[in-house]
Amino acid sequence: MLQDQLDKLLQSILRAHEDGMDCESCNAEFECLAEQVAAGGDLHAILPAVEAHLMCCADCREEFEALVTILRAENGGLTSKLTD
Amino acid sequence: MIERTNEQWIADLTGASAAQTQALQDLRERLQRGIFYYLSRERSDLAQLSAQELTQMAEDLAQDATLRVMENLDSFRGDSRFTTWATKIAVRVAISDLRRARYKDFRLDDLTAEDELLPVAANLNNHNPLPNPESAAERSDVMTKIDSALREALTDRQYQALEAVALRGVPLEVVAEQMGTNRNALYKLVHDARRKLRSSLESQGLSMDYMMDLFQD
Repeated sequence: MLQDQLDKLLQSILRAHEDGMDCESCNAEFECLAEQVAAGGDLHAILPAVEAHLMCCADCREEFEALVTILRAENGGLTSKLTD
Repeated sequence: MIERTNEQWIADLTGASAAQTQALQDLRERLQRGIFYYLSRERSDLAQLSAQELTQMAEDLAQDATLRVMENLDSFRGDSRFTTWATKIAVRVAISDLRRARYKDFRLDDLTAEDELLPVAANLNNHNPLPNPESAAERSDVMTKIDSALREALTDRQYQALEAVALRGVPLEVVAEQMGTNRNALYKLVHDARRKLRSSLESQGLSMDYMMDLFQD
């Protein structure tokens, strides 16, 4: 637990990058990027600045990954049901 | 369900009542399917809920999301499929709702009143004993410098935000609300805090690589 907290602090500092997009500017790109990633694109190659933000921001990362997950499911015909 | 182009979606959602009613229903159902998939497949924290409960949750969230989509229709730029943009909004609605529910009893003031980093760090050597006293002394020395940097390089507000978001993993929007700010501003606050801390430590000759190696288990 103690080691875990220290690791989190050091990792958090390590990821601090000079140039950065904030949450709003990243979110504005999500729908385009998510479509490309869901279709097999590499986020790092498409827009590395967003990838850098997602490495620093757990909230945005969670939302982006959720969007990609849903798009992949839709593409694969897995969201045909309203219920289980 | 009708397949629509982006233009058809916008036209139907803003058009005559019959077309709008159908478009709203189609949109809501589509968002509900996506939200249901996410809740039922990706959220282990909801594993205890029944299928009926998840269905109701998805229905409620889809309704909220549809309203949010309609409120923000003018901001759709057409860079993606309309449904992808709408799903992005639905994801934000759903995840925000889950965050607020999970942290409904969280109080930021309680967090910073307990377990400050220094007392935690002072016990680090007790919990992770090293083979020789020199290494233990080196760790203690670096921890003291980290703690000093936290207290001297950061404002109280930055310290509070960094601890809550970066160390405790509390969502930005939860912390932002209690700090009287918004998520975006809080992200910038935490980001600036991280950069100041890094700069302060590096000015003392403490590189990130050195510290990561030193505290490796």
